[in-house]
Amino acid sequence: MRFFPAPLARAPGIRAMLWAAVVLLAASAGAANAQQRDSTRRTPRDSVRADSARVADSIAVVRELERLQNEPKTPSPAQQPGQGGPTNARLLPDISAVGDLVADLSPKGSTQEGGERFAIREVEVAIQAAVDPYFRGDIFLGISDLEKISIEQAYLTATSLPWGLEVRLGRYLMPVGKQNTTHRHDLHTVDYPYVIQRFFSEEGLKGTGVYASRIFAPFGFYQEVIVTAVDRFGEAPEGLTTVDPVNKQLSGLGYSARLRNYWDLNEASNVELSFSGITGKREQPVLGDAASLATPARQSVLGADFTYRWRPLQQGLYKSFILQAEFMKQLNERDPRLIVPDDVSSADVTYGGPNRDFSGAYAFARYQLARRGFIGGRFDTFQDDTAEGRTSTAVSGYLEFFPSEFSKLVAGYERYSPAQGAATNRILLQAAFALGPHKPHPF
Amino acid sequence: MGTHRLFTTFALATALLSPAPIIGVSTASAQLKVVTSTTDLYDIAKQVGGNKITATHIGEGYQDPHFIEAKPSFVLQLRDADVWAFVGLDLEIGWMPLLLQGARNPKLQPGKPGYVDASRVITVLDMARGNVDRSQGDVHPLGNPHYWLDPENGRRIAKLFRDTFSQLDAKNASTYAANADAFTQRLDAAEQSWKADLAKIKGQPVVAWHTSWRYFAEYTGMNIVGFMEPKPGVPPSPSHLAGLIQTMKQTGAKVIVMEPFYDRKTADFVASKTGAKVLVLPPSVGGTKGLDDYIQLMTNDIHQLAATL
Repeated sequence: MRFFPAPLARAPGIRAMLWAAVVLLAASAGAANAQQRDSTRRTPRDSVRADSARVADSIAVVRELERLQNEPKTPSPAQQPGQGGPTNARLLPDISAVGDLVADLSPKGSTQEGGERFAIREVEVAIQAAVDPYFRGDIFLGISDLEKISIEQAYLTATSLPWGLEVRLGRYLMPVGKQNTTHRHDLHTVDYPYVIQRFFSEEGLKGTGVYASRIFAPFGFYQEVIVTAVDRFGEAPEGLTTVDPVNKQLSGLGYSARLRNYWDLNEASNVELSFSGITGKREQPVLGDAASLATPARQSVLGADFTYRWRPLQQGLYKSFILQAEFMKQLNERDPRLIVPDDVSSADVTYGGPNRDFSGAYAFARYQLARRGFIGGRFDTFQDDTAEGRTSTAVSGYLEFFPSEFSKLVAGYERYSPAQGAATNRILLQAAFALGPHKPHPF
Repeated sequence: MGTHRLFTTFALATALLSPAPIIGVSTASAQLKVVTSTTDLYDIAKQVGGNKITATHIGEGYQDPHFIEAKPSFVLQLRDADVWAFVGLDLEIGWMPLLLQGARNPKLQPGKPGYVDASRVITVLDMARGNVDRSQGDVHPLGNPHYWLDPENGRRIAKLFRDTFSQLDAKNASTYAANADAFTQRLDAAEQSWKADLAKIKGQPVVAWHTSWRYFAEYTGMNIVGFMEPKPGVPPSPSHLAGLIQTMKQTGAKVIVMEPFYDRKTADFVASKTGAKVLVLPPSVGGTKGLDDYIQLMTNDIHQLAATL
């Protein structure tokens, strides 16, 4: 058996191909060098700006130079459209990635969803750019071992609407409550508060639909109203199916509203007090027949959130404080009409969903110890729907260290006291990092 | 049904609290509304615009302009503005996009006359050459954005504002031109008064905290022999400070120049090891009390430095 090819000298066809490949490589190397010069050194536009600044002192001259730069030029072969490669690399969107790594060193076993001690909880890839003069596009893909690749958010934002309006189409973090509007890796804690995890999901609440907001200040302070209509309220639960989709009727879609109110107390401190609500139909279990049978039932969540921030302007690099609290009440439809398949008698089944309301809240505080170090704590309380509404609580403390704006290390301890059963201790570590363009800091 | 009615009541109340869109339409104003990112741009805009504009600023002179919070109250200022003037070169990248997106003001979108990137009329220092990544610290690939500390750039910004305001408010173009000329003349006169101080500063070795004094050094001739930060935006480490102390001893640097928003304790430590003095200089208008305009700022900083050397 031969593993080696025949000598090249005896294969003129192959030799000709080799020469052709060498020529092609040389040509492509030249092109690559040319691209390197363009992208890593000064672009023609940069040169125009610097040169103009040397000889001119007026915007008029800059405009003249920009006009000259924009005059039609004969493109080089590499720039000809349709010959491969982007026609203008500057039109590439911003691409960034965030890695969210967690370690769970809890003494009685991991408390993570997949039971891992060390896990890449998620890698988020963001692709963002202006689409045209009228729209902006934002796409966030989530990659995890559990969910593989998922569309976390993808929305089109209209940027040219009158009257201070903003409209989005697509999937987005639902504007319900304060922390739910923040990406999980941007939180000051490792996880969302329990009330968000229980009423929505461990990853918060997203929705796919239409989002409209307007800012106004009739009373002299900032106010914003946001309303949404989404395909459904929350994700469909696994293992439960209804006769018809919960959103078959328009009344079954998810609808939300949020009113934000913001005041500057002085130059160093400010307060936000906001109110939110969402309603929609969700699948609730039906007992007595197939285990997977469900019926639509209306569920609503109303909430209020409060945030106080303090950050003295001159010492703002080293000192800051946040106090935040949020309350939510989940309202459940009582004994809804059961919609079951024709071959199931309604006399044989009973409603297995919640027949009472639940509430939950958290309070969170974070103090800046030094330029890169923070200490924080959170208290959670919620009525547990799996324990007949009895109250569960959790107390947690965190140390955060930011080596830079683009990386974060968190160490957290939590004592979780469930409504029934023994209290457990959780020890969590998190490392998050961001690659790519500098993103604005969330407020 | 109770829950549905409750939610509907909430949604209706929310909607009613929002005034009808037509109420929010702003009427044409006699004055241009100008919002600037920094106090320096604000002062120059006021000098050029005079009583034909109303101006506000986002950052304060004693605040690190890299780390301004994108507060909703700023969004309201930008919502009603005709002009948004900013330093550019990514100085405001940590907060400006949130404010502009939140403001939803078509007049302030890139490419519109009201979107004024002042960096486009200045000669940029420290423009990145070759590959740049964040292992080099919080670098600004487009160049060093602290250019207002060179009076030549102050003149250029004034002329940029003159042209911008004239384009948006042609009937007052002659006023803007006259104001810009008057500002330039005052700056020219001030420069004459700085000559003795500049002669003292020229060639003197100093240490700066951040790269924000590069343009100031180009203008004054002070020789920056080292930075407190090992890399832009990275706090000083003990090993870096040890090396810096050696450098200061070798070069004879006797002054550490720093902004008021950095932690002075570290600079005092280095000064105690080298016999140097720590000079806290305001980098912007309003950085200390009484420095209410751009020419006062430049005069103060040049005089303070010369007196300390």
